[in-house]
Amino acid sequence: MTNQVHSIDRRTFLKSTAAVSIAGLAGCQTLAGSGNQNVKLDPPENYEQLKNAELPYPIYGERFPEATVPSPFVETDISTRQFVGDRHVLLTFVYTRCGSVCPALTSNLVQVQADAAQRGYSDEVALLATTFDPEYDTAERLRDFGEGRGANLSADNWYFLRPDSEAQVEEVVVETFGHAFQKNPSEEGMMFLHNPLLILANKQGYVERSYTNKVPNASTVVEDVRSIVE
Amino acid sequence: MRRRELIAGLAGLSTIGGAGWYLQTKMSDAAGIDPVALQTIEAPGSSGEEVTVPAPGSVSLVTFFATWCHICEAEMEPLGEVAAAIDDSVQMVSVTNEPVGYSVTESEVRQWWRDHDGRWPVAVDADLELTELLDISGVPTMLVFDENNVVTWRNRGRASAETILDEIAAVRDGSARPLQQIDGESP
Repeated sequence: MTNQVHSIDRRTFLKSTAAVSIAGLAGCQTLAGSGNQNVKLDPPENYEQLKNAELPYPIYGERFPEATVPSPFVETDISTRQFVGDRHVLLTFVYTRCGSVCPALTSNLVQVQADAAQRGYSDEVALLATTFDPEYDTAERLRDFGEGRGANLSADNWYFLRPDSEAQVEEVVVETFGHAFQKNPSEEGMMFLHNPLLILANKQGYVERSYTNKVPNASTVVEDVRSIVE
Repeated sequence: MRRRELIAGLAGLSTIGGAGWYLQTKMSDAAGIDPVALQTIEAPGSSGEEVTVPAPGSVSLVTFFATWCHICEAEMEPLGEVAAAIDDSVQMVSVTNEPVGYSVTESEVRQWWRDHDGRWPVAVDADLELTELLDISGVPTMLVFDENNVVTWRNRGRASAETILDEIAAVRDGSARPLQQIDGESP
């Protein structure tokens, strides 16, 4: 690319950033004005744009969706809303044959689990990793995948969610949480194409933040969790 | 909702500014980052003392890794070649941001380091300060900094020894340009 292109890109970007931050401020005031007490974090930076984009997944302030999915190792189904009143929830979507995004999403959950253990809020969070490849991702493979990245599966706050059929994957992952993925048509590379999605919901059952498009850095997630735990 | 619409929705999101990109700017526009003091692990090539990353006044090669990451394992060989080819004027350090002491012990990191023939400083970003500063969202991520702690190269995933050495040489011969992160990863 030439310098010319770079400078145009930059100007366009800066302009849109300015617009976003103004919109973001307005959104914040509106929320405060309407007395929305459901969320603790400030709206995401580009909230107005995200809201207008009518994205299929929750972004901020929405009621955390409900889905009930079998969970290996606890021998019971887990509802994404069963923690309402008790625990804040971090929910993500993975498959174990995934090369980089899923391990990074999972290690975000591990970082929060570690921070919770160190700061004594382990019983205030629930970490849910949902596979959208349940046929391959048996309980054992999920265990290896999680423990391989340092998850403590017996800490009473870590749950793998494993839909029992392709139909349930579609219903829970796609319909309920709006997480898009598709089988990679190419033989090469990753099995699935998907955008990272990590949702943080508070113990009142409302979405505080969705991290998407890129895997967030661990510090961002840990700090967001700390601020809603406090 | 139909899958295809969801995919379209996600593609739309990328275009409205959720994804960012990097810009190469004029040297004079760039400001270096404030270095962070990290504790190294006592291991081959690594003293166990505190190290300032990136080192002001030196070219630095910083590699973020995790002990669970297979690509990081594979990258240790080219990194070893780089270590053999550079002199003391380049700071080379690998950094794990895993919760050491929780999901992995310090002695496991030390063993991993030995097993993969590490022979340069290996440090822990214990409070995720450098991770946050550089917005490291995956491993391996490699960065080259110039003497003013300005990022001139950033790479997610594997890189050959030749590529890494070229990037270090580019800082030396003055052909490297600051890489300014605007928002997140490149599209």
